[in-house]
Amino acid sequence: MNKQYGYKSLVFVLGLILLTTTCGKKPTANISTELLPLEDNPLVCIKFVLNVGSADDPAGKEGLSALTFRMLSEGGSEEYTYKEISQIFYPLAAYLDMQIDKEMTVFSGIIHKDNLEKYYSVIKNMLLNPGFREEDFIRIKTDHLNFLQKTLVNNMDEQFGKEILNLMMYEEHPYGHNELGTMKSVKSLTLDDVKNYYENHFVQGNLTIGITGGYPAEFSKNVLSDFSALPTGKTPERTLPEQQTPEGLRIVIADKNTPATAISMGFPISITKSHPDFFALWIAASHFGEHRQHLSHLFQKIREERGQNYGDYAYIEHFIEGRGKFPATNYCRQQQYFSIWIRPLSNSNRHFVLRQAIRELKILIEEGIPEERFELTKKYLINYTKLYTQTLSERLGWQVDSSYYGYKDFLEEARERIPKIKIEEVNAAIRKYLNYENLYIAIITQDAGSFKEDLVANTPSPISYSNPNMPEEILREDLVIQEFPLDIKPENVTTAKAEDFFKETGIPLGN
Amino acid sequence: MVKNIGTGLIALALLLCPMVLGSTDVFPYDTKIEKLENGLTVVSVPLKNPHIISYYTIVRSGSRNEIEPGKSGFAHFFEHMMFKGTKNIPREKYDDFLTELGAGTNGYTSDDYTCYFVVFAGRENLEKVIKTEADRFINLYYNEEMLKTEAPVIEGEYYSSVSNPGRRLYETLRHQAFEKHSYKHTTLGYLEDIQDMPNQFAYSQLYKKRFYAPDNSIVLVVGDYDHEEMMEFIKKYYGGWDPSSYELKTPVEPPQEKAKRSHYKWPSQTMPRIAVAFHGPAFSDEKIDKAALDLLAEIGFSRSSPLFQRLVIEEQKCLAIYADFPDRRDPPLLTFNAVVKQEEDLPYVEQEIFNELEHYKNEPIPEDKLEEVKSNMKYSIARQLGTTDGTAGVLAFYINLTTDPNSINRLFNLYQKITPQNIQEMAQKYFTKTNSTVVTLSGGEE
Repeated sequence: MNKQYGYKSLVFVLGLILLTTTCGKKPTANISTELLPLEDNPLVCIKFVLNVGSADDPAGKEGLSALTFRMLSEGGSEEYTYKEISQIFYPLAAYLDMQIDKEMTVFSGIIHKDNLEKYYSVIKNMLLNPGFREEDFIRIKTDHLNFLQKTLVNNMDEQFGKEILNLMMYEEHPYGHNELGTMKSVKSLTLDDVKNYYENHFVQGNLTIGITGGYPAEFSKNVLSDFSALPTGKTPERTLPEQQTPEGLRIVIADKNTPATAISMGFPISITKSHPDFFALWIAASHFGEHRQHLSHLFQKIREERGQNYGDYAYIEHFIEGRGKFPATNYCRQQQYFSIWIRPLSNSNRHFVLRQAIRELKILIEEGIPEERFELTKKYLINYTKLYTQTLSERLGWQVDSSYYGYKDFLEEARERIPKIKIEEVNAAIRKYLNYENLYIAIITQDAGSFKEDLVANTPSPISYSNPNMPEEILREDLVIQEFPLDIKPENVTTAKAEDFFKETGIPLGN
Repeated sequence: MVKNIGTGLIALALLLCPMVLGSTDVFPYDTKIEKLENGLTVVSVPLKNPHIISYYTIVRSGSRNEIEPGKSGFAHFFEHMMFKGTKNIPREKYDDFLTELGAGTNGYTSDDYTCYFVVFAGRENLEKVIKTEADRFINLYYNEEMLKTEAPVIEGEYYSSVSNPGRRLYETLRHQAFEKHSYKHTTLGYLEDIQDMPNQFAYSQLYKKRFYAPDNSIVLVVGDYDHEEMMEFIKKYYGGWDPSSYELKTPVEPPQEKAKRSHYKWPSQTMPRIAVAFHGPAFSDEKIDKAALDLLAEIGFSRSSPLFQRLVIEEQKCLAIYADFPDRRDPPLLTFNAVVKQEEDLPYVEQEIFNELEHYKNEPIPEDKLEEVKSNMKYSIARQLGTTDGTAGVLAFYINLTTDPNSINRLFNLYQKITPQNIQEMAQKYFTKTNSTVVTLSGGEE
């Protein structure tokens, strides 16, 4: 099921209602809504969800979506400069946040209901009548260039690794560039590009408005009426190319001066939350690598047993950590991927841990989930998901995601389906969707050339421990891991200087 | 049709809604405080509605307690060891218990305290959680081998942020600014001390004996449960925990006598950064010093401040500028930070920060600006208190400082009393050149 399915059930036509509330040119409103009134709640959360993201960036203008939408959230409106907006927001403790992903962009804010009217009057104009001032454009564009050139490559290796994995998985694909674009493409963007992009994409058919909390009944009507002033268009449905499964182990190593190695690996998978097999595969992924939980098998093997790093996790869809350690919402995509995240570890142990992670994946695929872990993981997911919706923003976010993937309430659906899933179904899903022989592997490390030689030659990679009395079974397993063969062909390993990434689209040519 | 999801579909995890702004107290919930004979303080905030319970254990020991040379980072390391289980409930069983419960669980370590939390659904699980948590605090067991295996994980955690120049700036600043106090090092500790942790088994036992005791700990429970029943469980399971009576004497930081500065050269490209810091006052909900400076930080360095607007929005010299005035039990650093776009602008931005402080020393803040800050603070805290776990997190922080949950209301009432003259006096008292430490960081060639 793709996203059209989810939206079809929600799209409504205000028609007659709005004919009575709008004047002048009367468009037919074609805006989806998610409304969750909670009468006694003193807070109100509002989200403007656009069915548009960096996948819609025109070729050569990568980063245009992000630059355009940040001009709305961190630029002035026609009515107020950004400075004036900051001064109005401050006493209200108000913000208009913006997050962008490949196919979805969200503007959101939480406000005390005392201040709802004042807040809304400002954000309405930020979104409907943006100022598009030259000085805001220069400021935001410079920020994006600085992020790509300096911050991403030099100051956040874990994220850098994930971004390289994205470049590898989605070469020649609309997902295949960072949301902010490339150095070359961002430099080429103009204010006219931004204005045109806004006019063509900030339109009714792309928009879902979500509101929850203690807002008055007429508020949602007013919002819908105001936003019905937008053009009625809709961006044509995105037809994504077929995802590319790698042939063999494809490796990109970003070379930089660092004491620690960051590793991300994975491959596209053919299902999303909307597919019935998702739930079985979710149980497998939770067992194998639940994000920042002791449940994660990889965490147990790599960190708890061997003390190699801070954590090791696996995911069956794009994962962003939200409040606490819970998954952030509104990163919905038509296509998803499986990934393993190995957090930074000593360079000396990089080869061993890479082998260990792939070997554990092989064991999962060949042996399936252990019976006792299967039952435990099911109970975990049924209970843990109850914590996902503690804040207004989370509840609204999950409601938007539920609709996108075609559910009334995805979390409720999961809690109904998971108890009925059999271990055979989980193991069948593992075998059907996962593999350990065809992987994209992104590595940030130093001395990339010598690491490449070790990888290609399958050089044994023994490690040592501070603990002189490591358990025998771990040492015996280590002997197997350190020799575990990885079929890596030299032509499948690209090494490139870290600073060469994100200059242009794709992987730098490297060595 | 407009999709309107009725309340029947959203029974799960109903949100809290008792905030009445305009009342004098920002923390609006009924709070109960009890103390066991062994010294354990229990703070209880029973709430109606959402089926969530937040169960926090606050140990009033953080990197502040690392007063001996070579022991930096130990509070954080010990937090890791607290997940090793007991002879009654070994680590695997403890993990499985929390996994089956679907609990959100973790720990964190700060300068002054270490906090462990279990957030879960269903009051029927409360007794099991209390029993299990009490067991690990009273009966924690690990041997030297287990410690040696865990210690490298800390090095891995250090590596997780090794590429972050902000962390390096922060480490350098604290090391430079403090001479004697244990705030000299960060919570993570010095790398050489981290690398020596495998050899610290004996010290870890001493550390536990000193600080992991009921008279140095607070249990905080927030959420959907019956208070009397909860207290019965607490008394039953924590009664056998022996007090420590250890008295920590943190070194007194001598007054700074001359301005300090240093520069850190980052090995690759990065946005240049500057931190301008002053030794400030410790947290108090009675004395005006820190409260007045908190208000100054907001007026002078928040997003709506004149300096932010000029340097970030208008002149576009900086990516960000912000103040960091933490509440701490002992006097911390009050720091003004800026991320600068061009290295050559570092001296200009530094001078602008000092100029701004001179301005606040010379002229009282307009009353209307002060009211805006008070409004911002009121609505900001209201947002944080919007959920069970948000409430627990906020309260845990203030409890760590004074052990008294009423501190938060006293502090916010104190803010209401602060005048422009108070702020001016405190600016004059603390923002002197001799009390300052400036650290800059810039990257390699482009």
